[in-house]
Amino acid sequence: MLTHFYDFLCSAVALIPLECMQMRFMQEAFIGILLLAPLTAAAGIQVVNFRMAFFSDAIGHSVFAGVAIGLLLSVSPAVSMPVTALIVGGGIMLMKRCSRLSSDTVIGVFYSAVAAAGLALISRNPNVARDMQTFLYGDILTISGGEIAYLFILSVAFYIFQIFAFNKLMIIGLDEKLAKAHRIKTALYEFIYVALLALTVIVAVRAAGVLLVTALLIVPSAAARNLASSAGKMFFLALATGLFSGITGLLLSAQESINASSGAMIVLVASAIFLVTLFLQKKG
Amino acid sequence: MKFSDEHKNCACCHVHPAAVKIEEVSVKLGGVNILENVCFHVPQGVCTAIVGPNGAGKTTLVKALLGDVTHTGKILFRQKNREDFSEKRPVFGYVPQRLQFDRLLPLTVMEFLACSFCFRPVFFGISRSFRSMAEEYLNEVDCIRVKDRKLGALSGGELQRVLLALALMRKPEILILDEPAAGVDFKGEKLCCELLEMFRKKQNFTQIMVSHDLSTVAAHAAHVVCINHQVYAEGDPEKVLTSRALLDTFGLHMGMVDLHKNCHCSGTSHGGGNEKC
Repeated sequence: MLTHFYDFLCSAVALIPLECMQMRFMQEAFIGILLLAPLTAAAGIQVVNFRMAFFSDAIGHSVFAGVAIGLLLSVSPAVSMPVTALIVGGGIMLMKRCSRLSSDTVIGVFYSAVAAAGLALISRNPNVARDMQTFLYGDILTISGGEIAYLFILSVAFYIFQIFAFNKLMIIGLDEKLAKAHRIKTALYEFIYVALLALTVIVAVRAAGVLLVTALLIVPSAAARNLASSAGKMFFLALATGLFSGITGLLLSAQESINASSGAMIVLVASAIFLVTLFLQKKG
Repeated sequence: MKFSDEHKNCACCHVHPAAVKIEEVSVKLGGVNILENVCFHVPQGVCTAIVGPNGAGKTTLVKALLGDVTHTGKILFRQKNREDFSEKRPVFGYVPQRLQFDRLLPLTVMEFLACSFCFRPVFFGISRSFRSMAEEYLNEVDCIRVKDRKLGALSGGELQRVLLALALMRKPEILILDEPAAGVDFKGEKLCCELLEMFRKKQNFTQIMVSHDLSTVAAHAAHVVCINHQVYAEGDPEKVLTSRALLDTFGLHMGMVDLHKNCHCSGTSHGGGNEKC
């Protein structure tokens, strides 16, 4: 039943009158981007508000440890990567709350330690070491049906959470003490948000790679901030920017004359949009 | 010189029952005693000012009241429509000293208020009924013109008033203001205090105001607590602000009250060591 629906989706995507869209892997990649781009853009709004760009970078780098732990315990990386990301994200948040160190120091220490542990374990195994390239650069074109299902479930959970928590996260981002005086359970909201962000980053790494994952999160919302006159508009502008750059980047990357990595093209398109908004904002 | 538990003799505390009892509260941060054995009562329905020099622990005391810092000792609140006290926190209105936020964030004043009250996420719009309620409050704090402006584009005084409107919209039992006068011009400050008095009469909340501006305190507070890590004096403003306690807490000759009262000539020699109020 589900596979039928998935096939139907793919054939619907194939109706796009472009030569590249006739290939199954492009259809799957397109569906993946349709889900992933708005998700990362929406998650990015709070990444920018909470100044968590470095944090999402740290989560991205935890994939090395995720793969390594998967190898050690002989668990599939599809399981070990999200679990490691959750542990790393939760660990950073806990340390930030309990210690008096500044958050970028905490993240810096945690992130290097986790990445180093992962790399040390992986480098012992040359076969896996070669596969690591996938994580460095990412490849949306090899996304599987299972990953798309995971993305779909994650998206639903994330949007439901946003509907419940967007207002509260805004207040927490503005001033935590004010939020506490309003009896908002700041720790609870932050932890749920960080968990969903960690899971999002892990899929985004598949698409854009460790090096570019942060761009998928923050560039759309940075562009939206430049233009929006209100938070409501910012939300939808970020989604639109994410979606537009995702689709355009993917389609451009598949053109024979360009033939470049899709993750890189997506980030380039988004950055170009950011530059345009910067110019428009100065003018306006 | 320390002055202990003299509040039972304070005129204000006779008229108004306590709304908050702070009992032997100590706060230690990073090995430093910020507050030591702080005890005082906050009378209900009037304005209590907490005065003290910079770094005296005033903001930490506010944090302890709000439950934002771990402390020893007890902070007891009178429960609504009841006589008994418990540690359960009442509805607070809180106006922070300053909001340190990202000024480029595109959040309008109306959205900011909606974020604090409405369940519906602001990206799905703000209900008309909430809008009109918020406009009413903004009107009362004389800030209606900024309702669609971005929060980051407001001046210090405007932001303070928006925060005040937000605090009042919560219909607080206790309104806490942390240095409300900081960053506001004199006219704005006077207006702010008058507004607060008006609202206090209307909504009948207990007001706690942290300040190091003694002239504001003298003009508006009914009860004053002098702290510098510990309570140095507590009582009616005309007694406390003219006393030796000021010298002890601020460590300076402070003659501010003379300007208002036209009587006591020297703020330091009055009251001697006896801080009974």
